[in-house]
Amino acid sequence: MPASFLDRESTIAPSGYNRFLVPPAALAVHLSIGQAYAFSTFNLPLTKLIGLSHSAPADWKLTEVGWTFSIAIAFLGLSAAVFGHWVDKVGPRKSMLTSALCFGGGFIVSAFGIRFHQLWLLYLGYGVLGGCGLGIGYISPVSTLIKWFPDRPGMATGMAIMGFGGGALIAAPLSLLLMEHFKTATSNGVLETFVTMGVIYFMFMLIGVYSVRVPVADWKPAGWVEPVEPRSLVTKANVADAVAWRTPQFWLLWGVLCMNVSAGIGVLGQASPMIQEIFSGRVTPAAAAGFVGLLSLFNMGGRFIWASISDYIGRRNTYIVFFALGILLYSAVPTLGHLGSIAMFVAAFAVILSMYGGGFATIPAYLRDVFGTMNVGAIHGRLLTAWSVAGVLGPVLVNYIRQYQIDSGVPKAQAYSVTMYIMCSLLLIGLICNLAMHAVDEKYHYRPKSPGPKSSASSRSAS
Amino acid sequence: MKARLIVLWLAVGVPLLWGVMKTLENALKLFR
Repeated sequence: MPASFLDRESTIAPSGYNRFLVPPAALAVHLSIGQAYAFSTFNLPLTKLIGLSHSAPADWKLTEVGWTFSIAIAFLGLSAAVFGHWVDKVGPRKSMLTSALCFGGGFIVSAFGIRFHQLWLLYLGYGVLGGCGLGIGYISPVSTLIKWFPDRPGMATGMAIMGFGGGALIAAPLSLLLMEHFKTATSNGVLETFVTMGVIYFMFMLIGVYSVRVPVADWKPAGWVEPVEPRSLVTKANVADAVAWRTPQFWLLWGVLCMNVSAGIGVLGQASPMIQEIFSGRVTPAAAAGFVGLLSLFNMGGRFIWASISDYIGRRNTYIVFFALGILLYSAVPTLGHLGSIAMFVAAFAVILSMYGGGFATIPAYLRDVFGTMNVGAIHGRLLTAWSVAGVLGPVLVNYIRQYQIDSGVPKAQAYSVTMYIMCSLLLIGLICNLAMHAVDEKYHYRPKSPGPKSSASSRSAS
Repeated sequence: MKARLIVLWLAVGVPLLWGVMKTLENALKLFR
C-alpha cells in the first residue's frame, strides 16, 4: 500500500536536503502553541462577557477562568507522556497535524463555551483539547531535530523550544489587537478573537506539517565524524522508553527539570505584583508589565543560547551553572530589594529567567545523551510530567508563603525574602540530582530481538 | 531550495520579530 502524505515514509528527505529547512517547521508549531503563556490576556475579558465594562453577578469569576490555563498545562504533561511513544512511531507530520487540530479546535470549542456561556466547554476546549495539542506539538519536532543535528543537538532543540517562549510575545499583543478590533457595543470581542486565533494558529501550524522532513537512517552531516570517545554521560546505545523510566537517571533528570522549572515558574507568575510591592511607589503597573515582557524575552533567548552553549560545555555542566548561579542570584534578591536597586534587581531576574528557559531547552539533548536517540521523543514526553508538577508547586510556594508572611505582619516589600531562600533550596535539590547523574547501566540498553551485533541498536536512531 | 529556505525562515521570523519589538516597547516603560 503506498504511503500517504502524513506517513513517516512520505517525510523522508531526499539526498542533499538542506537540514536548516527543518527548524522553521518546528518553530511554526512551537510559536503557535507558545500562545499558552499569554492566555492570561483573556482572563479579565472572560470575566466580563455579560457585564462588558464590569463583571456582572452572572459572569465567570477570575478564579474559575484561571483554571483553564492550569488544566491546559496539566494536559500538556499528560498528553506528552501518554502520546510520546505514538509520536515517535508515526513521525512528526502526523503528530504535528494532530496537534494543530487539537490546538486550533480547542479555540473553536472554547468559542462555543463563550457563546453559550458554558464554563465546562471552555475547560474542555482550551484546557483538555488545547492541552493535548500543546503536549503533542511540544514533543513532535524534538526527536526529528536531534536526528538532523547530531553535531549540535542542543542548538537544534533550543531553536524549536525557543519558539515556545516566543509564542507568548506574539500572542499577547495579537490577542489585544484582535479583541480591540472585534469589540462592539454588545461584545467585548473575546468570542471572535478565539475563533480567529483558532483558524490562524491551525493554518500557521500547517506550515510545519507541510515542510517537516525526517532524515534517512544513519544520516550524518557532511564532514562530521562522531567523536570516538564521547563525554562520560553520552551513550552510543539506546534505551527504550518503556525501560527508561525504570532507570535512576530518568528520575534524577525528572528532579532536575522539576526543580529548575518550579524555581522559575513561581516567580514568572508573580513577577508583576512582586516588583511593584518590593519597589513600592517606584514601579507603576505599566512598568511592571514591561518587566514581565523583559522576563519573557530572556526566557525565550535563554532557550536558544543556553542550549547552544550546552553543546560545547556538556549538559551536566550547563545545569550546574543553572543551579549554582541560580542559588547565588536568588539569595542576592532580598539584598538588592533592600538596596533599592531596580536595575540590579531586573538584571538578576533576567538571568534567572534565561536559565529557566535554558532548562527546558537543554533537557531533550540531555535525554539524547543519556538514553540515545531511538525513543528520545517518548522519553521526553514522560519527563514533561515534571513540568505539570512544577506548574503547581512553584506558584503555590510563592503565593502561599508570601500570603503567610503578610498575614504574620511582615511588610509587603519584604514578604518575598523567605520565598527566595526556598527557591534556593529547590535549586539545591536540583543540583544534587544533577551531580548524581551517571551513565545508564548496560543492562538497560536496547537490544533487537533477533541476535545481532550490539551496534545495530543504534542504527535505528534515524528510522 | 534556497528560496524555500528564505520563505520558511521569513514566515516564522517576521511574526517573532514583531512580537519581540512589541515586547521591547513595553519593557522600555520600566526604565522611563
